[in-house]
Amino acid sequence: MIRVAIALLLVVLAVPTSAGAADVVRERFDNGMVVLVRENPLAPVVALSLLVKSGVRWEKADVAGISNFLTAVMVKGTMKRGGAEMAEAIAALGGKITASGDVDYSEIRASALARYWREMLVLTAELALDPKLAADEVDRERELLVGRVQRRRDNAPSRAFDEFYRALYSPHPYGLPTLGTPETIARIDRAALVARYRAFWQPERMALAVSGQVSAPEVIAEARRLFAGLLRGNASVDAPIPPPAVAVHRVVLEQPAQQAQIVVGGVAPALDHPDHAAVKVLGSVLGGGMGGRLFAELRDRRGLAYAANTFYEPVREPGALILYLGTAPENVTAAEAALVAEIQRVRTTLVSAEELRRAKGYLLGAYESDRRTNARQAWYLAFYELAGVGLDYPERFRKAVAAVTAEDVRRVANQYLSSLTAVVLRPR
Amino acid sequence: MFALRPLVLIAAVFLTGCAAGNGGRSATSPVAPATPTRAVLDNGVVLIAREHRASDLVSLQLWLRVGGRDEMPAELGLSHYLEHMLFKGTPTRPPGSIDYLIEGLGGQSNAFTSYDFTHFDVMLPVEHVRTGLELLADIAVNASFPPEEIDRERKVVFEEMSLVEDDPEKYLLRQVYEQAYRPHPYGRPILGTPELVRDLTRERLAAYYGKHYVAPNMVIVVVGALTTDEIRPLVDATFGRLPKATSGRPAVAGASWPTTRRTADVRRSEQQAYLGLAWRTAATDSEDVFAVDLLTYILGDSPSSRLNQIVRDRDRLVSTIEAAYGAWAKGGLVTVTSRLDASNLDAAERSILEVIRRVRADGVTEAERQRAIVTAESSYAFDIETADGLAKSYGQAETTWELAKELRYLARLRQVTAAEIVAAARKYFGDDNYTRVRFVPGEGAR
Repeated sequence: MIRVAIALLLVVLAVPTSAGAADVVRERFDNGMVVLVRENPLAPVVALSLLVKSGVRWEKADVAGISNFLTAVMVKGTMKRGGAEMAEAIAALGGKITASGDVDYSEIRASALARYWREMLVLTAELALDPKLAADEVDRERELLVGRVQRRRDNAPSRAFDEFYRALYSPHPYGLPTLGTPETIARIDRAALVARYRAFWQPERMALAVSGQVSAPEVIAEARRLFAGLLRGNASVDAPIPPPAVAVHRVVLEQPAQQAQIVVGGVAPALDHPDHAAVKVLGSVLGGGMGGRLFAELRDRRGLAYAANTFYEPVREPGALILYLGTAPENVTAAEAALVAEIQRVRTTLVSAEELRRAKGYLLGAYESDRRTNARQAWYLAFYELAGVGLDYPERFRKAVAAVTAEDVRRVANQYLSSLTAVVLRPR
Repeated sequence: MFALRPLVLIAAVFLTGCAAGNGGRSATSPVAPATPTRAVLDNGVVLIAREHRASDLVSLQLWLRVGGRDEMPAELGLSHYLEHMLFKGTPTRPPGSIDYLIEGLGGQSNAFTSYDFTHFDVMLPVEHVRTGLELLADIAVNASFPPEEIDRERKVVFEEMSLVEDDPEKYLLRQVYEQAYRPHPYGRPILGTPELVRDLTRERLAAYYGKHYVAPNMVIVVVGALTTDEIRPLVDATFGRLPKATSGRPAVAGASWPTTRRTADVRRSEQQAYLGLAWRTAATDSEDVFAVDLLTYILGDSPSSRLNQIVRDRDRLVSTIEAAYGAWAKGGLVTVTSRLDASNLDAAERSILEVIRRVRADGVTEAERQRAIVTAESSYAFDIETADGLAKSYGQAETTWELAKELRYLARLRQVTAAEIVAAARKYFGDDNYTRVRFVPGEGAR
């Protein structure tokens, strides 16, 4: 489609890797696309993550879900291969390729036996650069997406989280549902998807990361052959977005379910904000693992919940620190009150040195453990690249966590958990 | 269950869990041996160990040869309840301190219960391996079951029952298993019943623990960034000191073969319908497991599989469809589950049966056989990518079939011919010997 074979004219600049990421090779092509490769010889597998800056963050309410819709149709066939043929080609590599739209990015993920790394890269490039976006596949995918939206609404925790994001963020686009709504999905036609594809799937918006039993120079060379000839796009779609207003919201919903859901939280700093590490530690004090306060106090000691957790995902725009409980319907009132009391406690009383140590240990342990597969390593590399935080981010993050004090935890609790948004979903 | 590879989905469903690197690259290829060492300690504990340096972590997994299948009717749910109670304390470890200890060291723990086994695992930075082994050996025989902790956990188990029921995919598979296996123990609820959980006593729990948590029923698997020579003395000093005992595991017969269709319709509040079909197939002690495994891949493991290509993409009768093989010590079950519009329930069932009929009549292609083998190989390769993935495959093999067979699994799979795959289809997959469970949207459901 938009590919122009001028690879030979491009000068590729190899950028030396930063300290703490010695086994990652990073290259930026002249068209702005970045490729990262991590050699990991231990298992005969390879995984890749191709991220593109296209997601909910760039969506309007009337076409919510368009980024995800687009990726879903993209992987259904290319100019060269139909859907069935593509599926067989992937399976023949012992591979999987899936795609989805998220808030800050859309992703094509692929994995395969390492000996097929080149074929996997070729298929990924074909899907990303030459998608067919066939009209009948658009219609078919629309049907499937409506089914997925229904299923998500039927699922009590998913429904509660979607409502929470809406209440917390609107009118910021992070408040829109990633999958869209039945109405927006019905409205999005093939022409809209094609226009979206042309505006967003541009090389300067992409980061490709590969991790596995591969040779970095070979992967870089193949990626250059496949991607470096793309012309830089000229669309300007990155207008700044006003931050969400901090306010108090409370939403109560009813739907058929066995378990009640309580989601409480506030707007929190973005990934590269100086408070990010302190808020991560705060989240770990409250809900990190089974030693976290929500689990230890509300679930284990008082039996007020089965599920008790905190969430604070890294994002580019303001994030959300979320406290979550799943509980029996008769416990809703007591559980919500106990949750609010825990928030009050962490805002007023300093955590002990011992508790701070556990929270940091848990946080960093979970971070390492999440990074132990090639698929997650590839995702982290590509995500940090798009976020612009640098290859040394993991090392800086670890150091920042180590430096967090009890006073920091209390300060950020006051700063980010003073105006709370709450969603309570009760079984009907 | 899921001793074999394609069973990711079922694994998630039948494991009732209680919890929610630096790359380590060296310039040369790794020198660690590619197979584990297996040893039986004097007291009967089985140790499986392997060096694996994908990260600086070590995976410690305790597998008990006790699970849902070992329970007497009045004991339903006890294996699972014990799984919840083991991390609650010992005489030297007060309630809450165990999770706190592990997490403070940068570790994670998890546990789950299944039909054939109960599993506990701890993943820790490798320098804490001794602390982890001491902890696991302690809770394996010294759990103290504080009465107030037992009462608290009752609510948690009730909540877990609700949670499963709220998740249509999980609940569908549970219902399919119950229908397909009843009255065999594999057809009973692993969580127990609300009545039994309500009436559960400390004495009964402690008696069950004393009977089953004995050395010969234990398998300790250690995989991580240390050598097997470093592992052995640590295990000798912990699990090696547990008292000798006899296993006393009750004999459980193989599940009998259903000869007629079993069906159940359940009204549910979801807007979409769910369809689950299941055929009883080979248990892990059968040589047929390999052919059934490949057949399951060909039928419904990926977007290129027959059920996806025909029922989903050509006939457009379902939103999702997937086949999975649950291979257990005493029986096997291949399930085909899908999410669909309620108006397509009958047509989708016909279409699925037609796909299977075509395999029985016309066989499978060489390309399909090759893809299935490559998929299995890949699935295996991704399992051994992490220390815990590797440890899990070893522990599961030891408790549901044999470690030696697990290690030969891929080689054996490659020998399966297209004719053997068709023979398996003809042997197990009939038009009238399957189980069907449907979730139908309806007002006033549940």
